[in-house]
Amino acid sequence: MTYALWPEYSVVIGVFVTMIAVMVFNRRSIQAYWVGLATIVVSGIITIADWSSKSLPVALYGHAVTVDAFSLVVNGLVLVAAAGALMIGWNDKRYGPDFPVLVLLALLGMMVLGLANNFVVLFIGIELLSLPLYILAASRGTGESGEAGLKYLLLGAFSSGILLFGLALLYGASGTLVFTHLDPAHMILPLAGAGLALTVVGLVFKLGIVPFHMWIPDVYEGSPLPVTTYMAFGTKVGAAAILMRFLFFGFSLDAGWWGPALGYLAVLTMVVGNLLALAQKDLKRLLAYSGIANAGYLLVGISAHNMFGARALLFYLLPYGLAVLAAFAVIQFVAGERDSLSLDDLTGLAYRSPWLAAFLTVAMLSLAGIPLTGGFVGKFYLIQAALFANQPGLAIGLVVGAMVGLAAYVRPLQRAFSKAAGESSEPIRWPVAGSIVLVVAVVATIGLGVYPAPVVHIVNHSAAFYWLH
Amino acid sequence: MIGFVILAIIALGGGIGVIVARQPVHSALFLIMNILALAIFYILLSAEFLAAAQVIVYAGAIMVLFLFVVTLLTAGKDDREPKENLAGQRLTAGILAVLVGGGLAVVGVLYPSRAIGLGLPHNFGNLRGMGVTLWGPDFIYLAAVALMLLTAAVGVLVLNRPRRQVKPAPRLEERES
Repeated sequence: MTYALWPEYSVVIGVFVTMIAVMVFNRRSIQAYWVGLATIVVSGIITIADWSSKSLPVALYGHAVTVDAFSLVVNGLVLVAAAGALMIGWNDKRYGPDFPVLVLLALLGMMVLGLANNFVVLFIGIELLSLPLYILAASRGTGESGEAGLKYLLLGAFSSGILLFGLALLYGASGTLVFTHLDPAHMILPLAGAGLALTVVGLVFKLGIVPFHMWIPDVYEGSPLPVTTYMAFGTKVGAAAILMRFLFFGFSLDAGWWGPALGYLAVLTMVVGNLLALAQKDLKRLLAYSGIANAGYLLVGISAHNMFGARALLFYLLPYGLAVLAAFAVIQFVAGERDSLSLDDLTGLAYRSPWLAAFLTVAMLSLAGIPLTGGFVGKFYLIQAALFANQPGLAIGLVVGAMVGLAAYVRPLQRAFSKAAGESSEPIRWPVAGSIVLVVAVVATIGLGVYPAPVVHIVNHSAAFYWLH
Repeated sequence: MIGFVILAIIALGGGIGVIVARQPVHSALFLIMNILALAIFYILLSAEFLAAAQVIVYAGAIMVLFLFVVTLLTAGKDDREPKENLAGQRLTAGILAVLVGGGLAVVGVLYPSRAIGLGLPHNFGNLRGMGVTLWGPDFIYLAAVALMLLTAAVGVLVLNRPRRQVKPAPRLEERES
């Protein structure tokens, strides 16, 4: 029981050790990366140990945080995201020595979001997640990177303000800070409604739901590649986790207040995100719009508001994240010294490097939701949840969005398999760490599509959280 | 209530002044006006220590630093604003902001929160009460905020690192979509 928070504590210790490693060794040293990776591994081992211990769930610090199967699954997902981002940017001279430190700090914020059961922890988690990402987005030092950092900072501060306003109104309406003590039946309705609306807007902003998605393409495009990977996977996990936890813990009995609104936003997001992805020429922007569309899929799981929805959301996060890791690793390899990749740069990839083209194909097909990949199983569960919740509109929106999305994801593949006009350029380098991420992500994507049972078992166990409190 | 209204008008005026003022120095002075009004709000809410901290830390230390930076960096700079591409966005944003703010104010006035009637806990608002809370049950928040400040310090180091000269990307024009 006393070990419940050690995954987070070990990351805090890891942050300090990594900073000391940066300071003691040469600034351009690899030790900080090793310490960061070791921290992630240790935290993962403690998370698994917590999972198998019988003492969960526990509420600590006066119900401020809840450690249960849900928070441990979120821990696992964000640890995968952090490890992937760290290894894709492994010892890259472009990102500076502070890269592992900031990755670990953002990781801590994401883990805190999985635990939160209190408005203060929610806000601290959001800020702890966002602050390092603002810095990481601007860390490249080019004009675009600076623009991305500034845009993210300004819009992030704006959304934090809205979130804080909403939390204050909710506190005024209910008189408590703890999610599980919120009692919608005894709240002052207009005040609580305004507070709930503002809070959900603040959270949905971080998730990147249309119409609060404007910042995502520019920030994803300007940020360094590993940071974009981290934002596309980790931030979405954290924001989806806290949104689900907040609504299911605090307002599970009054789903009529928020369910329909989130449902309409989900359909809008799925359709608009995929449609805009069709028009993109830059792969990072394409994946940014794909991230928006996938946030819409995640919102289906929340607005379905049943156990199936919670399970489907938790499951879908994993294949989505693995496909993102694989796709960004391929982009990183092909882009080489540059930091972005247009669709034209992919032309003839299948002839330059057949394996990379094959891996990119798996990632794109998983994002599109083709059978035998994890993305198909995830979408299958989401549609099932929407139908069990008697919301066929959500299922129809998801299918329409996925069909439009398929066209968007096939475009880069079409370029990759077409013959290049000129002579082939220099061969593509495969960095070791990035290759590990790529191979593991691709194998896991196919594995999830062929044999999803173990992961389904885990998410089934963890999605029952809001019945237990 | 009258005191509240007067203070609210001062605070709002300060806030509007910050974004309307042409000179950065005037913006900073308006911000001080806003901060002082907030400090008096804290006193009305019987949070004396927060009021004192607000005046000393914000109006005192941070704003002085701010004024120094503003006077050092912007002396003699051209303060004309860049041309706006989207016509009428200020007007639209202003109208929307007034509508949303007015709506929230109406909700807040018509339906006062229940927690107001609960009374204040022991030692509320003074140094002892703050310390007992922050170093007792709420210590975990204090630690988390300390990590946030650490992040900010790392960020200052990262963002102030001398830049390598990178030639600007030619793709900047075709990026709007």
